[in-house]
Amino acid sequence: MVFSSLLFLFLYLPFVLLVYYVTPRKFRNLFLFVVNLIFYGWGEPIFVLLMIFSTIVDYVHGYFIDKYRSNKKLAKGLVVSSAVINLSLLGFFKYAGFIADTLNVLPFLNIPSLSIPLPIGISFYTFQTMSYSIDVYRGDSPVQKNIISFGTYVALFPQLIAGPIVRYKDVAYQLDHRRETMEQFTHGVKVFLVGLAKKVLIANQMGLLWDSIRESGEANGILGSWVGIIAYSFQIYFDFSGYSDMACGLGNMLGFEFLKNFNYPYISKTITEFWRRWHISLGTWFREYVYIPLGGNRKGIPRQILNLFIVWFLTGLWHGAAMNFILWGLYFGIILIIEKFFLGKLLAKLPNWVSHIYSLFIIILGWVLFYFEDMNALMAYLGNMFTFSNGIIGSTALYYTLAYLPLLIAAAVASTPLFSNLYEKLKEKRFMWLAETALCAVALFVCTASLVNQSYNPFLYFRF
Amino acid sequence: MKKIKKYAPMIVFLLFIFSMGFAFLLLPKKAYSPSEKRYLASFPKLSVETFLSGEFGKDFEKYLSDHMTGRQFFVGLNAYANLAQGLNGVSGKYLSGDGYIINEPLNPIDNRLDENTEIIKNFALSIDVPVTMTIVPSTGYIMNDKLPLNHLPYEDEKYFESFENSFKESNVNFVNLLNPFKEYTKNGDQLYYKTDHHWTSLGAFRAYQLICNSMAITPTPEEQFSVETYQDFYGTTYSGSAYWFNPADDIQLWVNPDNTEENITVEITEGQKTTESHSLFYKEHLTEEDKYPVFLDGNQPFVRITNTNAPDGTLIVVKDSFAHCLVPFLADNYKNIVMVDMRYYKGSVSELIESENADQVLITYGIDNLATDTDLLWLK
Repeated sequence: MVFSSLLFLFLYLPFVLLVYYVTPRKFRNLFLFVVNLIFYGWGEPIFVLLMIFSTIVDYVHGYFIDKYRSNKKLAKGLVVSSAVINLSLLGFFKYAGFIADTLNVLPFLNIPSLSIPLPIGISFYTFQTMSYSIDVYRGDSPVQKNIISFGTYVALFPQLIAGPIVRYKDVAYQLDHRRETMEQFTHGVKVFLVGLAKKVLIANQMGLLWDSIRESGEANGILGSWVGIIAYSFQIYFDFSGYSDMACGLGNMLGFEFLKNFNYPYISKTITEFWRRWHISLGTWFREYVYIPLGGNRKGIPRQILNLFIVWFLTGLWHGAAMNFILWGLYFGIILIIEKFFLGKLLAKLPNWVSHIYSLFIIILGWVLFYFEDMNALMAYLGNMFTFSNGIIGSTALYYTLAYLPLLIAAAVASTPLFSNLYEKLKEKRFMWLAETALCAVALFVCTASLVNQSYNPFLYFRF
Repeated sequence: MKKIKKYAPMIVFLLFIFSMGFAFLLLPKKAYSPSEKRYLASFPKLSVETFLSGEFGKDFEKYLSDHMTGRQFFVGLNAYANLAQGLNGVSGKYLSGDGYIINEPLNPIDNRLDENTEIIKNFALSIDVPVTMTIVPSTGYIMNDKLPLNHLPYEDEKYFESFENSFKESNVNFVNLLNPFKEYTKNGDQLYYKTDHHWTSLGAFRAYQLICNSMAITPTPEEQFSVETYQDFYGTTYSGSAYWFNPADDIQLWVNPDNTEENITVEITEGQKTTESHSLFYKEHLTEEDKYPVFLDGNQPFVRITNTNAPDGTLIVVKDSFAHCLVPFLADNYKNIVMVDMRYYKGSVSELIESENADQVLITYGIDNLATDTDLLWLK
């Protein structure tokens, strides 16, 4: 199930909220556990078993790691076992096909192509459960003896399928001791609606623009190609951050407080800064569970460079089982290394606008790598972005650019903290509550309209 | 009061999602959507099997969105919200001047105009009956000055030039409507509907005159007809665009008083069933929102029109829906007209020509349909 659907908004969510709040506190986690599974299993019930399997495996590992904490060897073995099982699940469901295809390049191999359906959210929840075993082992978080509370954490529906990757230690206390309040609920509603609007009103439209432009290929000309990839850059940011906002808002409605996952990444002045603002929970995860354990920057510069390469290789691979994602990760790895050792100092001295343009250029170029899994299409698109031989802008691209111009401008403004700052300044004003509520109502209606419209299929040129 | 102010967004949110949810659960469901002309999804079958495969879940979502409370309202809201953002045309239709809702141009890269022209040329070569072809230009090209400033280009000029060239070296008599239609429009004729993709009766009549001239037969003069006008016609571009505030069209029936029950017979054959009627107009459709099926009862595989008053002769018409309001005019010139729609008629047209002993073949398509049609392959 996804948040931006009629099913979620008007049936699942009202049901969950209603029953959640009439259920005595003692049983709320149990209720959440059950509805998490409904949320997860909708459309693919079979994977609920996988979810339950993950929950039990990690619960048992955590339990015994804690119990045999004094036996260093055994405890370490258990952490390794937990990581191996989680990564095997991820490896099997997400990467088996890719690995087989890659190995088939070797002439003597002929592995039949695999088509394993990807269980939604598996990249997110396997990382979450791994963080649990590791944190318990390190003594960073208490063990969870209650399997229901633990299961509630693993499959907590707000962040189940698209993050943020909530580390166990960040919600350990909330799982058993949270106190829901109306303030928090109201705040959650606002955050949720901001996220919904980002997804439905901006990301989806930018997706349409990107699709329309991409289809015209060379005919777009140089400017048209740039508008296309900029639209995709907006699509991916508003889609992903919108989803994270919705997750945080829903968490609030149920009494949880999650950490922020995006912090206006497109206003960054360096790529280092960009990665501190983009998908924060993933960066944190790789830093804490890969980079630092590998020695981070404490073992000399060559080792640090190697560590960075490993982390960025894995970050790329995490985003998808294809070569272009690995390239995308390594691309950022290389740029971060360059920034770390000399470019960073230079950028700090340059005027702000130069650093902004530099960063956006690198980021946008990155999205080309990220989008095209087919290397030929990737090179063709890059070619169009850097040659004048196809003209400045094609008539189709010009038409779409003009049509979407107001929305492109709105998206650009919404990528900066401008609205948020304005809100902070005005929120104590007398009639602000009214404006705020009216905005919420408008967002609700217009988003619903857009969702309903997706099913409106006039069937006009046919008979029945 | 202070509390209400503080929690107002929460209250609005909860009220909205709960009332939408309850309204869906409690209100009766409609089986049919007239504006979409399709049956809405019915409640999916729930069994262990459909549930475990996830099929039930997916079908249930279709059912839900088909039956969402206020669906019509929300679809309209979405259309106008897009318009407010400057997105005129995302539904594939432009809201244009004077209440015209105009389909966007056909895809210039991915279309079947050349293939279909080729099929028609080859067909004309394979039979020994004269073939006349006419293609209806797109509304957007003819009504160009009504379109919003920013729109995709309508390239009819280019397409018609290539039709002209292509048919020149064949034995197809191509009646080019492009320039005459521009002229008529300049002189104030309304050739296209505002809320529908078809041409008006006047548009069809103008084409009728041009076709007759090119085939050297005499068209019934304009003064001969008594024109009946009906209001509140909401056609396909209206329902497809969801611009619910757009005014309706008028629809005109051009009735030749000489054609009565006595001399006119229309037989519609669908499968094994043939229904007979004695009027060129199916007026029961005038009570519907989309009144265009008043012409020959909408899309039918096989229609025979006989006019005992008309001069001897048999005409075979291969067509899409544009022909429905053109063919009644031609009934004054042919005793026997057989009209087939290649989308539903899978018989051989050349055998039909032979068995009917036809004198003339007329092929009529709107340019958008000709560009997408994949059934002309059956034209043999």
